[in-house]
Amino acid sequence: MSDAHADQDWRAWFAEHGARLRLIARQWTRSEADADDVVQEAFVRFWKHQRHLPGNPNALVVTSIRRAALDLLRRSDRRAVREKVVGDEMETVSWFEPEADPRLQALAASLQLLPTEQREVVVLKVWGDLTFDQIGEQLSISPNTAASRWRYAMEALRKHITVRTHD
Amino acid sequence: MTDPDHDLEQALAALRPRPPGPAVLARLARDLDAPASRRGVLIAWSAGLTALAAVFAAAFAFLSFPAEPAAPSYQLVRADQSPAALQFYRPVQLDDGSFVRPVRVRWDNTTRWEDPRTNTRLINYRPHDQLTLLNLETN
Repeated sequence: MSDAHADQDWRAWFAEHGARLRLIARQWTRSEADADDVVQEAFVRFWKHQRHLPGNPNALVVTSIRRAALDLLRRSDRRAVREKVVGDEMETVSWFEPEADPRLQALAASLQLLPTEQREVVVLKVWGDLTFDQIGEQLSISPNTAASRWRYAMEALRKHITVRTHD
Repeated sequence: MTDPDHDLEQALAALRPRPPGPAVLARLARDLDAPASRRGVLIAWSAGLTALAAVFAAAFAFLSFPAEPAAPSYQLVRADQSPAALQFYRPVQLDDGSFVRPVRVRWDNTTRWEDPRTNTRLINYRPHDQLTLLNLETN
């Protein structure tokens, strides 16, 4: 993730990174609309107050997204049952752009079927560009646990796409 | 040692997440551009006021505190010499037997120059005080 310099236009930065941020937000939200809300809130907070801070901007923006997502979940707890239904329906919406390669299509579909704790590690590592140490900090787990979940996820994905591409 | 998951990770990275919709961009523009605009107005105002202040300061400095004033150019306008004041003393005899009368003469000269460009004046006042001896003829 490129640095968010003081003189950089937020549109240019968001055009480059917005899709990845939304995918990260989607891991901790119940619907596509919630992911949009979280990205908006987190990005505004990051851009206004955090982009000048020292440290890895990846970790800063992911922290901002996670905090906004957890806040939203707490606010909407009373609507959880209704949102769960909506969320289940929204699971049919692909998180990725359509791909011509059948292997990539299978991979995209398989990722959404992973258990949440494995999927968020994959997303944070691949699209958040975080290390296992940083993932551990984000999820309040040890780096070893993060690495272990990554390995389980890779095994599961490999099985899924093998089955899907042979169907 | 090769990473067995490297190819799978590469394939994952090739997936393109869906970007946020235009509604998100519109809301971000509302949140991020509006303060920027206000900042821009403030910056423009402050820049304008700063420039104005600089102009006033320069004008004030130019009018009130010339850094290198031109050398005055005085012209002689008047030269006066006052009437001599004479004071006669009693005659005295010198060593050679002759008689003289001491006379004290006092006067002053005043010379005035002016610089019409700066309306300044230069006045030179020089007082004179002389004692002379007038020879006396004794027949």
